[in-house]
Amino acid sequence: MATEQESQGAIRDSSRSGPYVTAVRWMENLSETAFAYFLLAPALLLLLVIAIYPLVTTFGMSLFADAISGSASLGEFVGIQNYVELLTNQKSYALPAPFLPTSLTVGGIVSSALGVTLIFTIVSVFFETIIGFAQALVLDQDFRGRRWIRVAIIIPWAVPIVIQGMIFFLLFQPGIGFLVGTSQNPSLLNQLGIIGTTPLVNTIDSLLIITVADVWKTTAFMALLILAGMQSIDRSLYDVARVSGASPWQQFKLITFPLILPTIMVAMLFRTIAAMRVYGIIETTTGCQTVPSLSCLVVSSFSSRTYGTAATVAFVTAAIIGVVVSIYIVKFADAEGGF
Amino acid sequence: MATDTGQSNQQNTGIGEDRPLKRGPLSKWVSSSIQNPERAYRAMFYVATVFFLFTTLFPFYWLLVLALTPQNLLTNVGLVPNGFNPMSFVTVFERVPFHIYMFNSLVLGIMTTVIVLLLASLAGYVFGRLRFPGKAPMMLAILAISYFPPAAFLIPLFELFTGNVAVPLLGTSLVFGEQLYLNSPDLFNTPWAMVLPFSALFMPLSIFILTTFYGQIPDGLEDAARIEGTTRLGALFRVIIPLSAPGVATAGVLTFISVYNEFFFSFLMNNGEAQNWAPLVGGIIGLQGQFDTPYHLMAAASIIGVLPVAILVIVAQEKIVSGLTAGALKE
Amino acid sequence: MGDVKLEHVSKHYDDVTAVDDMNVQIRDGEFVCLVGPSGCGKSTTMEMVAGLTMPSEGTIHIAGHEVTNLPPKDRGIAMVFQNIALFPHMDVYDNISFGLRLRDYDKEEIDRRVEKASDVVQLEGMLDRMPDEMSGGQRQRVAIARAIVRNPEVFLMDEPLANLDAKLRVHMRTELQRLHKELDTTIIYVTHDQAEAMTMSDRIAVLDSGQLQQIDPPLTCYNEPANLFVAGFIGSPAMNFVEGEVTENGFRSENLDVEFDPARMGVNVGDQVTLGIRPEDVYPADDGRTLSHPTAEIETVSDVLEPMGDEIFIYLLLADDVETNLEETASNNQLLMSVDPDSDITEEQDVDVVLDRSKIHLFDTNSGQALQHGLVNPTTAESTTGTEAESDD
Repeated sequence: MATEQESQGAIRDSSRSGPYVTAVRWMENLSETAFAYFLLAPALLLLLVIAIYPLVTTFGMSLFADAISGSASLGEFVGIQNYVELLTNQKSYALPAPFLPTSLTVGGIVSSALGVTLIFTIVSVFFETIIGFAQALVLDQDFRGRRWIRVAIIIPWAVPIVIQGMIFFLLFQPGIGFLVGTSQNPSLLNQLGIIGTTPLVNTIDSLLIITVADVWKTTAFMALLILAGMQSIDRSLYDVARVSGASPWQQFKLITFPLILPTIMVAMLFRTIAAMRVYGIIETTTGCQTVPSLSCLVVSSFSSRTYGTAATVAFVTAAIIGVVVSIYIVKFADAEGGF
Repeated sequence: MATDTGQSNQQNTGIGEDRPLKRGPLSKWVSSSIQNPERAYRAMFYVATVFFLFTTLFPFYWLLVLALTPQNLLTNVGLVPNGFNPMSFVTVFERVPFHIYMFNSLVLGIMTTVIVLLLASLAGYVFGRLRFPGKAPMMLAILAISYFPPAAFLIPLFELFTGNVAVPLLGTSLVFGEQLYLNSPDLFNTPWAMVLPFSALFMPLSIFILTTFYGQIPDGLEDAARIEGTTRLGALFRVIIPLSAPGVATAGVLTFISVYNEFFFSFLMNNGEAQNWAPLVGGIIGLQGQFDTPYHLMAAASIIGVLPVAILVIVAQEKIVSGLTAGALKE
Repeated sequence: MGDVKLEHVSKHYDDVTAVDDMNVQIRDGEFVCLVGPSGCGKSTTMEMVAGLTMPSEGTIHIAGHEVTNLPPKDRGIAMVFQNIALFPHMDVYDNISFGLRLRDYDKEEIDRRVEKASDVVQLEGMLDRMPDEMSGGQRQRVAIARAIVRNPEVFLMDEPLANLDAKLRVHMRTELQRLHKELDTTIIYVTHDQAEAMTMSDRIAVLDSGQLQQIDPPLTCYNEPANLFVAGFIGSPAMNFVEGEVTENGFRSENLDVEFDPARMGVNVGDQVTLGIRPEDVYPADDGRTLSHPTAEIETVSDVLEPMGDEIFIYLLLADDVETNLEETASNNQLLMSVDPDSDITEEQDVDVVLDRSKIHLFDTNSGQALQHGLVNPTTAESTTGTEAESDD
């Protein structure tokens, strides 16, 4: 066999030529580092144009005043004045709602962008974590029909935001459903004092509805992540625990919980980031006037062509998210180190 | 013990330990639960399952109730439809070209998924299998980009996609005596105005999933492929990606669902008309007429709109869970 | 044809030198084993020949062409991996024909070659199986078929038998030798198992700490190890070493003396040397009388006996006082002897032994280099080669 080496049927690559072969040869001779950056180039280019360029531009815009005349998009350069005004709450002239609470009453807090966003984030992430954890525990069991229960629990997560908004709009729009009554004929929820008879234009009621809507949809995501964490726990640990006589509760307390705590922290981080940018569900359910979240401020000031202000709010929002992320990372490092 | 249940439970319980105690069904259940905690856990489990099923599924049921109720009876609707009017599912398509909006959504989802899988495969290969300086900072940077609110990208992207950004062409002032500019293409009302932001936004998650999967393929298989005659890229496409099919499927499904669900750019990067590539968002918001609010049609459209992703979830749920288990979280 | 030449090849990682100035020439059709402990650089060397790792310095030639910077596919090589590395998503036919299909061979040619290759490794009728439906040995055959089907200039085998069970390993060893005879192609074979290297190869290249220690035919490595490392690595159980010093009367250590004339053995009085002797070259005094060049009798005490069936390994303590020696069983005080199974030596018994002078090695203790193989007078050294058969027992 050795005598007919590479004799027939194929052309040896080294004897081929042409641009394709040249390109392949060039690529094969790249060093590992050069090859790595070569393959990353398309992804990095996309991120550069679609993410980094806009971020830099947005930051630049935030240093300019809003346009006064209709033709230019930006006014004069003002440095950090937009930030100063926003953070000292003197920007209300250009915004549909104040950035910081004007008073420390409940009404004052929820009608400010920062207040309503933080309350929404804390409450929704809290309930999503608790309920998502419970759902994950259910889904982790082995039982007949698990597949369909799992589908039922996951499905809200796959629902488009516009449909999620539509569902809760239709549930709480006065006059059509049984959840909201009239002052003559109050519904159960009205009688309990949970919501008023026009919940979609009342800020506190709307905040409640939006929180419930968000919990309904994204708890499933939380449950999925926590379930993934539970299923990656080494099953033999449970066998060891059972042999040592641990009850199911003890197994949960000593094995499941500590091992998925890091997963829960990561899942909460993801959810917190997403919750702080809440926009779509507000727009489709109650509208930005009723619940003025941070992203709502950006979009509405963008729509009224006050670009300098819009850019400032966008950047401050990103900065606040950055702060929250750092807090999580520090806490997460603590939790990791605790084991 | 089952025969004791029927008897009187008036009797005092302080009787000898060797005789079975006579109790009512509840106290009996409680005591047997204490002796046998499995039963209590089982019961809790069933209660929780039923509760979760109710809370997740009731809103869909409510959509169905409204969709089936004729428009003139849409007041104080209870737990069952006020009548039966399946025609609203047809009317949706007559009122707006809902099928085109759905088609647009599917096209946007597929385009984004293809782009994301291609770019994320290359990046996942790099992060999962190559060693090079700057790897960790670069992964962090890609993750950090997904922290920013879409609102922070909106204004420049809007300007970019409406053709309002002019890039100076280097050297043109020397050749032609005046500076020439290349205007950014007018992508507003085209799929690209949405597909590009979607791709950038959802690519990081896919990169992390694929990094984990590609990193788990044994080195020997890649080496074997290269010895047998593939290039480095050839080994990726002929061996690593086929072997990571579950991970690629997971990343694809997650990307598609994310695009289908997206609101921000779907709402703002087109004028809401079906012929201008407005997706589902435009279709549902477009139902709201100037003079009336057809709740039954909105409900019907919502049900129709959920169907594609519902089917996808039913088909791919195993993949979604196992894909996440395999490591999207470990990074 | 399939000759391989490595000239001044080195591989540095960030702060480690995996391979240090390697110079090797492998002739066409030769079967060369790279052996050494893990981390000695043998796998890195093979990866550089394969093109999976690029050398930091030096050049590599295969079949007369320089291939230092060529990708693996253009080197005319095939490789069999330790973890077998069959593509799990392809059946046997697709696995074997993978490389041919990449090179656009036409269908009949592929069929013909796959059939021939699967014939050679006895895989007939299994071409449509998936790898996970096969046993370890069958998978290894597929991997070999995948390598031979392309008629490469050089086969590279990276511990191909390491993951097989002991019985199958011995069987496959014979198969590989048969294959080598049949194909007559250059084979470079990496293993940490010196027995594999001894039985299969034309030459053994012993590596340690990234450096080539010796490259010679197996028996040369065994009988004339270039240094302490090779002497200790080749042969099982390992060679006995006793550290000592050269005096006017010969070798002297705490518990063992061997007389010779230093001037005639190429060593100087006062040199720190290590004496090496293989277990089978240590004899009980009464058996040793048949040797042509026995040493003086050495008093020892037997310690532990390891009966292997065909021979018995006896650990001998050189010092008189057994108690103290049990605590420090340093090799300096211990001698391993291999005797016939019918020997009546028992544990903790006084045993007088002699060493075969023609099989004694002297090494420089500091550099490890071999100074002398065989302590018989150089004039009679020729005749010692003739006594080899006898000393083999």
